[in-house]
Amino acid sequence: MMAGEGPVSAQRPVTVEAGEVTGSYLADGHTLKSWLLTTDHKRIALLYMAAITAFFFIGGSAAALVRLNLVVPEGLLGSSEAYNRLFTAHGVIMVWFFLVPAVPVTLGNFVIPLMLGARDLAFPRLNLFSWYLFMVGGAITLWALFVGGVDTGWTFYTPLSTSYSKSHVVLAAVGIFISGFSSIATGLNFIVTIHRLRAPGLTWYRMPVFLWSLYSLSVLLVLATPVLAITLLLVLLERLFHIGVFDPAFGGDPLLFQHLFWFYSHPAVYMMILPGFGVVSEIIPAFAHKRIFGYKFLVWASVAIGVISFFVWGHHMFVAGTSLYSAVLFSILSYLVAVPSAIKVFNWLGTLHKGYIRFDAPMLYALGFIGLFTIGGVTGLWLAALAADVHLTQTYFVVAHFHYIMVGGMVSAYFGGLHYWWPKITGRLYPEMWARAAALIMFLGFNLTFFPQFILGYLGMPRRYATYAPEFQVLNVLSSAGSTILAAAYLLPLCYLVWSLLYGERAPANPWGASGLEWRTPSPPPTVNFIETPVVTEDPYEYPPPVAAEPHV
Amino acid sequence: MTMPDRRETAPQGPLDRATIDVRAEAWRLARAWGALVVLGAAELAASYLPLPRGLRPLLMIPAALMVLVVAVRFMEVRRGPAIVRAFAVAAMFWLIVLLGLGSVDPLTRTDFPVDQPRVK
Amino acid sequence: MSDVAVAPGSLAVAAAAPPRHGSGAGVRHDFQYRDPAYQSETAIAGMWLFLATEVLFFGGLILSWIYMRHGSRAGFDAGARRTELVIGTTNTAILITSSFAYALGVIFIRAGDTRRVAKCLAAALALGLAFLALKFGLEWRDDFAHHLFPSDPSFPMRGSAEAGARLFYVFYFIGTGLHGLHMLVGIALVCWIIARVRRGDFSRDYHTPVIAVGLYWSFVDIVWLTLYPLIYLVGRG
Repeated sequence: MMAGEGPVSAQRPVTVEAGEVTGSYLADGHTLKSWLLTTDHKRIALLYMAAITAFFFIGGSAAALVRLNLVVPEGLLGSSEAYNRLFTAHGVIMVWFFLVPAVPVTLGNFVIPLMLGARDLAFPRLNLFSWYLFMVGGAITLWALFVGGVDTGWTFYTPLSTSYSKSHVVLAAVGIFISGFSSIATGLNFIVTIHRLRAPGLTWYRMPVFLWSLYSLSVLLVLATPVLAITLLLVLLERLFHIGVFDPAFGGDPLLFQHLFWFYSHPAVYMMILPGFGVVSEIIPAFAHKRIFGYKFLVWASVAIGVISFFVWGHHMFVAGTSLYSAVLFSILSYLVAVPSAIKVFNWLGTLHKGYIRFDAPMLYALGFIGLFTIGGVTGLWLAALAADVHLTQTYFVVAHFHYIMVGGMVSAYFGGLHYWWPKITGRLYPEMWARAAALIMFLGFNLTFFPQFILGYLGMPRRYATYAPEFQVLNVLSSAGSTILAAAYLLPLCYLVWSLLYGERAPANPWGASGLEWRTPSPPPTVNFIETPVVTEDPYEYPPPVAAEPHV
Repeated sequence: MTMPDRRETAPQGPLDRATIDVRAEAWRLARAWGALVVLGAAELAASYLPLPRGLRPLLMIPAALMVLVVAVRFMEVRRGPAIVRAFAVAAMFWLIVLLGLGSVDPLTRTDFPVDQPRVK
Repeated sequence: MSDVAVAPGSLAVAAAAPPRHGSGAGVRHDFQYRDPAYQSETAIAGMWLFLATEVLFFGGLILSWIYMRHGSRAGFDAGARRTELVIGTTNTAILITSSFAYALGVIFIRAGDTRRVAKCLAAALALGLAFLALKFGLEWRDDFAHHLFPSDPSFPMRGSAEAGARLFYVFYFIGTGLHGLHMLVGIALVCWIIARVRRGDFSRDYHTPVIAVGLYWSFVDIVWLTLYPLIYLVGRG
């Protein structure tokens, strides 16, 4: 497609006389202003990381309260109203303020220019602006959730959100609307950067899979998010003026809302998981010390997922009263999207086969990702099947399914990538033993939390209720117990990563012996990323056999 | 879409130092303006044809042609790097996906309307 | 979108670089680009991608038009027949001409003729303001006077056509309102460009923002060219 566009030639040379800083980006100014007005993609990534971490723990606390409520069948909180607001807060924060942005705006922002051999993104000021949009949108949404909350669920289904809900729908929707433009700005920046700022010799097929994944993700961001914007706008207008776009009493159609919403929100699922694919595709070859298996299949699978994910949204609406023809069409298309996902899993396994595997913490997260994502993906096929979906939809089976993708897949990938690039980002090594322990505890806690929910859903426990039938209690207690383990596992990295900032060992430029341009510059990188623009002469993942390789840390 | 990096061979874009024939370019724009007026008039005239209700969305055809003229002449979509065309095509492709797949459901669905429109 | 100027605080290179206007050698560029022309082309490409997102934004609105008209076609078309075709058609001609005037300005800036650029952009701006005056000063005022706002209790249409006609006016007000908002943004941007032209910021070597804003201005025209038949023509007949 774009492969013929040709590699981009060298950048303007940096000169110390012009005042350009060739020292570490972390030492380039210590004032608050030097952070809040920075246009350095590396510093903006850290600004985003601080925000994302805060949102993760706020959304996690809401989830903890949800699980607490479900310990007893009649509901520990004793209020369905409060319960509705809790799971809505959890969903809204986790989807829009953690899962969709997490990898792209932190790891992606930091690593994309480094992987490209570029000095920055194409539009650095737009990058900073997107952070401010994100913060404003996040602040408004948090405000809505704290002054009383929203009880519609993260999906804002009409007519509940437009006519019946007495909660702060308007405020929350405005916050999400604003943060959506932050997503669009980020995606736009990434696409243009990957097209235009590749180092000399870096052809499309020499790009790491991470870049392809983030490219594909960015296409989703820029083309799906605007539809969410118009959808939320219509909800707002209908709620404020009672004009009837979605209200059948006025001739409107509530299914129109669902079509528009899922046109965004199904691709949004892939916005969350595609960066995870990218991270895992970097970690696996680095720790198997082996060239990635089936590179072209992997990258085109990323592109295929990006395109096909737009064709499948109707599978969220099988029981909503859509036409049978539409349902059959969307069911077939949903099966299609499983093909590139499966290709990826086989490619990772093929890379591991006969590899020289090291079980460092990033690798543990990546291996966990493969297993949990596969379970999440296969159960998705059950839901894409029309007949099975009628039984399983609106039950805990769906909850378990998407948490296997979102938490088991995406959050694992985020932690894996965070550990993998932590030495590059901070210039410090994290404590390996603690990190491995956290990865294992996270895996155990996750499965204990969510596997019982598959069974609960299959047995018919509906989602989004504050109370349940007594025979479901054992499995619910198991799930809640698992969530405490999971919570502890999430707190561990917060502690030891912060510790490593102060006391961690200094990291060399390439602690993992990994290939890729980002490892060819010091840790932490200089403000200009590369003193001299690197020239790429080989394919990605050119790993020498380990006997020839130097011993690493 | 294998476009060689054209900047290497012929200078393009704002730094184009080749002399610009302002008069010829202006005439080209004026012709585009004329084409838009003609198309708009044709669209307006066609709207008076007694088309059945289901076929009246065909009036969008002249509108689509007008959009094309604006994109090619006023926005110069053919100028600049190849990704400009790629972005324009992508926008059209996904618009068609949204409208096409989105209208499968209402066009094939059996609706059971509410009894009477509620009057406020 | 004009990331051509170096942002404050990002680099100290700004002080060392020669002024932006003037001959070709003086055009500065950010350190991630190889030369000013490459950076300019990239900024233009970014603008196109932004417009692609706008296409999908209005795409959601067009999909709702399909749903609303399909659901209650007779009433919907009855609503469309009450629109003021003369104003709508005049406005279409005005916007086409405005877009033409701006495109002419782009040709003059390429030739380095900054005096004529200012004139062309002023004409584009005046036509844009005329559009807004007709649309909101005249047409919307009449619509409100005729109680056509969809939640107006004395909406003039009754009986079987009422629900569809109200839905039509939902689309009408949202569509023209959103387009009007885009026009306002465009007018602010054109004013900004005119001010910079007057200040002598642009030359035949550096005028990326002129082109970028022109793309946006023509895109707003495209949106109107789509809305015009959806509102005024399809339902008439």
